[in-house]
Amino acid sequence: MNNFFLELTIALLFGIGTFLVLRRDMMKVIIGFGIISHAINLYIVGGGVFSEGTLVPILEHEQALEGLNQGLIYNDNLTAGILGPITTNPYTEFVDPLVQALVLTAIVIGLATTAFVLTLCYRVNEEYGTIDVQELRRLRE
Amino acid sequence: MSFLMDNLPMFLIAIPLLMAPVTILTKGSPGLQKAIDIVVGFGLLCLSVLLIITVWNNGIIAYDVGEFGKYGIVIVADLLSAGMVVLNCLIGFLGLIYSYDYIEDRSLNQTYHSLYNLMLAGINGIFLTGDIFNMFVFFEIMLLSSAALIVANETSKVTKISDKMEATMKYLVLNILGGNVMLIAVTSLYASIGSLNMADITLKIRILAEAGTVPWHLYAVGLLFIIVFGGKAAMFPLHYWLPDVHPTAPSPISAMLSGVIIKIGAYGILRVLFMIFAPFQAVYGPIILFMALVTLALGATSAVGQSDVKRMLAYSSVSQIGYVFLGFGMAAMANVAGETEGATIILAASVIYLINHALAKSMLFLTSGGIIHTADTRDMRQMGGMINKAPLMGAAFLVGAMSIGGVPPMGGFISKFMLFDAGLREQFYLPIGIALIFAVFTLFYMFRGWMLIFWGERDAQYGEYSHHKLSPLIVAPILFLAAIVLIVGLYPEPVVQFSQTIASQIVDPQPYIDAVMVRMIR
Repeated sequence: MNNFFLELTIALLFGIGTFLVLRRDMMKVIIGFGIISHAINLYIVGGGVFSEGTLVPILEHEQALEGLNQGLIYNDNLTAGILGPITTNPYTEFVDPLVQALVLTAIVIGLATTAFVLTLCYRVNEEYGTIDVQELRRLRE
Repeated sequence: MSFLMDNLPMFLIAIPLLMAPVTILTKGSPGLQKAIDIVVGFGLLCLSVLLIITVWNNGIIAYDVGEFGKYGIVIVADLLSAGMVVLNCLIGFLGLIYSYDYIEDRSLNQTYHSLYNLMLAGINGIFLTGDIFNMFVFFEIMLLSSAALIVANETSKVTKISDKMEATMKYLVLNILGGNVMLIAVTSLYASIGSLNMADITLKIRILAEAGTVPWHLYAVGLLFIIVFGGKAAMFPLHYWLPDVHPTAPSPISAMLSGVIIKIGAYGILRVLFMIFAPFQAVYGPIILFMALVTLALGATSAVGQSDVKRMLAYSSVSQIGYVFLGFGMAAMANVAGETEGATIILAASVIYLINHALAKSMLFLTSGGIIHTADTRDMRQMGGMINKAPLMGAAFLVGAMSIGGVPPMGGFISKFMLFDAGLREQFYLPIGIALIFAVFTLFYMFRGWMLIFWGERDAQYGEYSHHKLSPLIVAPILFLAAIVLIVGLYPEPVVQFSQTIASQIVDPQPYIDAVMVRMIR
């Protein structure tokens, strides 16, 4: 159930993003890229969650190809200094921490790229007084 | 010394990364800034040479960043990575020397050196990392810094800022899309294989393929990777950005873009086609071969009619990368047919081609900077008779043209000859025939360019050539690269041997996997 809505959301965001990227207004293109990159962020998160125990956070090398669900599971053990994450059933409710690290990195990189493109867009506007792509082409000739 | 040797691969990434803020802090005194940068560039070159010697003698180095064992990121230097790093550091260092006077003439941008260092760090990182997501991160570092460098140098006399902005926009749009596609591919790979480490993924996919249980969507994931790296390398359907971007950048940056940055795509394709997705070569090989043929034909035919000197060189880069990919495609198909030895020979020829093109094309772009500096225009039809004004540029351009065109005493001849010879031996008659036809085009447009620029007289209506002499710091890197191209052509034995070792390492990635796995399981 969760999977279905996640897929639907990703698909919708992709559609909206693609629609915006194909516009003439440069600002809309940039917003479109932002939406696409967020669709991809959701996709990355989806790669690690809702998989009902088929993916576990850390796979031992030998175990990776059989079972696929025999990773290390941490349980609270205060005397040994192990503090497990809060979960009622570690085999089905454990979220892969690596994808979250990946998403964080992707968000930060997306921010940097967007900032750069926005600056460039601002310079184009300063130079021509418009950010309409067809208008720009007409002005350049 | 041992501290240096132990962390050698890390230094190649960390030092330029550290220099980026340092060069911003010293922007108040440009002399100091440039001096620091050139010293560091030379240090990097020495370190990269040290790295390749170590790898050659002691085998593949796998460096475990932060000692996290198998949960961390590995940095791997095999001969291919180390060789690419040497190319990057060499061309980067020469570009820095070249920039010393070249950029100052046209209003030194204060962030130029900082961005340049970031770009070097990103490229070194891409070549050295053994983690596929980490590669994406370094891609973005390289992309943003190189995009900013393309649009820098606003007051250039020959290139309008509007052209630069349009080119940068194209570059960014393609590369943002490429980055997004790569993220999708990396995530899909991680979700189905459960690892981001390239050696680990290779091993698991190979085990899956031997058991005959490869999930079908992995084929699509591999294709996504080919699209990403093909876009970086300007392969046929994704080549449209290159002829705009390379000419508008400042000349040292053009040299880096054409010499090293499009080779990143070739490096990625090598890793994808021969390592990670090696069991799928039967599907990917013909695709790459076909795309390579279209690319080299398209690049060569487009270059013939160009009047802008840098645009001609940029189209020539498209065509030459097509030849490199032709070798990859043929090697993959030979590998599928069970001719491992033949595949190794073709791949070695391809690697030599890549090295020669990197040297000759970056030299040509640096030379074109000198030519444009003298003529104050990029239009070849408005030049002519420059041989009297800048004879050294003429000689260097001739060396480069002969090398790219494949005329005997130059490095380009060896690479073309070996590629065609190895291809014919594996009976790829049709692709080699097509490639031969367009090799003639290459000769034609290169010598047309040389004649337009250096022969005859300049038309009086364009006025005299500028009288300021080219600074020795602009001429020296060009002559140095020209000398290397000549030496490679006259005495190719070490390069051939080196490429054959690289090729055998690529075709059989077992040592790479072993080296990484030992580090991981520890």
